[in-house]
Amino acid sequence: MSMLEVKNLNCSYGNVQVLWDVSLEVKEAEIVALLGANGAGKTTLLNCITGLVKPTSGSISFLGESLLGTPGDKILEKGISYLPEGGRMFPEMSIRENLEMGAYPKGMWKNRNAQIERMFELFPKLKERQKQTASTLSGGEKQMLAMARGLMSGPKLCLFDELSYGLAPIMVNEVFKIVKMLRDNGITVLLVEQNVMQSMEIADRAYVLENGRISLEGRCADLINNDYVKKAYLGL
Amino acid sequence: MITVLNIIITGLIMGGIYALISMGLSLQYGVAKILNVSHGEFIMIAAMLTWVFVGLGIHPLLALVLCCPFTFCVGFLLHITIFRWLNINSGTAAAYESNAMLLCFGLYFIFSNIAMQIWGSNPVGFQFMEKSVNLGGAIIAVNKIIVLIIALAVSILFYLFLSHSRLGKSIRAASQDPVAAGMLGMNIKKIMAICFGIGAVLAGIAGTLISMYSQVNTGMGMGYTMIALIVVVLGGMGSIPGSMIGGMILGFVGSIFGYIEPSLSMVAYYLIILVLLLVKPKGLMGR
Ligand SMILES: Nc1ncnc2c1ncn2[C@@H]1O[C@H](COP(=O)(O)OP(=O)(O)OP(=O)(O)O)[C@@H](O)[C@H]1O
Ligand SMILES: [Mg+2]
Repeated sequence: MSMLEVKNLNCSYGNVQVLWDVSLEVKEAEIVALLGANGAGKTTLLNCITGLVKPTSGSISFLGESLLGTPGDKILEKGISYLPEGGRMFPEMSIRENLEMGAYPKGMWKNRNAQIERMFELFPKLKERQKQTASTLSGGEKQMLAMARGLMSGPKLCLFDELSYGLAPIMVNEVFKIVKMLRDNGITVLLVEQNVMQSMEIADRAYVLENGRISLEGRCADLINNDYVKKAYLGL
Repeated sequence: MITVLNIIITGLIMGGIYALISMGLSLQYGVAKILNVSHGEFIMIAAMLTWVFVGLGIHPLLALVLCCPFTFCVGFLLHITIFRWLNINSGTAAAYESNAMLLCFGLYFIFSNIAMQIWGSNPVGFQFMEKSVNLGGAIIAVNKIIVLIIALAVSILFYLFLSHSRLGKSIRAASQDPVAAGMLGMNIKKIMAICFGIGAVLAGIAGTLISMYSQVNTGMGMGYTMIALIVVVLGGMGSIPGSMIGGMILGFVGSIFGYIEPSLSMVAYYLIILVLLLVKPKGLMGR
């Protein structure tokens, strides 16, 4: 079943069009990678999906229901968790409070402590340091906290924007292992990445965005053997 | 010895009031991004209203409670109407910040002039628990002790509200990263309006408390606005604990100079600010 469906999406900032006729589909319990160079329009696409930016035309639907016009602060309640570039933790709040904020919507707030315990099982490092402020965490730890905060609401679909950016190789592996585990637990993931090789390894399917247009799409197993992809993206 | 005790108690009372006022201003600036130079007018309006209420036979402590929903509504409504309109029309965040401050200057003139039309400019007051008690040699009016207790209680309650309640936590989150807070389901516009309202309530509480132990008049607002601005710079822009500590420091300085040479208080305040900003440009608890 299709979880997220983007059809013929166009988006502009002022007079400058950045997305051109973009169509993309994410099925239930899939990891879909959205790849592309700096400025390709990846974050813009995520911002359109989550109601932060208004597209000029096209449609976006989630579980068969249109998302267009849904304000940004209602997206989480629908089951979509958006992890923005850089994680955007609340630096002066404690790690535990940051997690709590992930369960802010009314129906979720009362279950927050049980959810936090679950996150601590998944990310034991966070438990030890729960009382410290988020600003004391290292880059990798911040990314872990960001993932944990994004999972607090028990989402159906996670949108991850450049999870691996700026992380040491060991941390990248760690983070990607968790993404895979999420999928194995039935959570659907749209993974925006510049780390093409490793994303291809864990994703089921991938889309390549080039200057605001989808230039390539397909199953990762096929794309990895595609000569063009090998040369342009994998440096092989 | 007794003088020292007097200075300490007076310092606590002034500090408590200054802390209340400054926390309000800090909240309005830190979250709603409005440098509210009409803040003191909310103090004045609540002080004058308390005097009116008492004239109608209402107990001052009940007047304190009655003023809270009133000041909250004025602040909240101002925010969801003119400030939101200004925000939409300002374009950038920086333009909004400076426009909002100009708007607050306008509010200052409007509020203070309307108040002067209604109530004139003479000092007014009422009697409230004027008996004195002897605290280890220092003679202090009971009303001042009550004011001190209420100011401290409200400050502590406000701090607990910010650190423990769902709304309080969302206010802190919104002040640190409004975009991320919005992604997590927080209604930022509503939170900002609530913060402006709470800021007005804190000013209003201070106004009622001031009227309990001293005379008040329709021109009293600007002086308190200046003090709140100094405290907020001293404590660090937008930092609530900074405002509490800064308020106390300024209260004690004011109290000490009140004994030595009251006319030098303002000079002392500015000297402190000058020195502090040279040493710690972002204020005591600035980010
Ligand atoms: N708020 C904005 N206003 C104007 N132009 C914008 C805005 N946000 C992004 N752009 C432009 O839109 C284009 C796409 O940006 P976007 O952030 O979506 O790219 P991206 O693929 O996420 O890049 P990166 O990998 O660097 O994060 C860029 O040319 C960028 O300069
Ligand atoms: Mg991006």
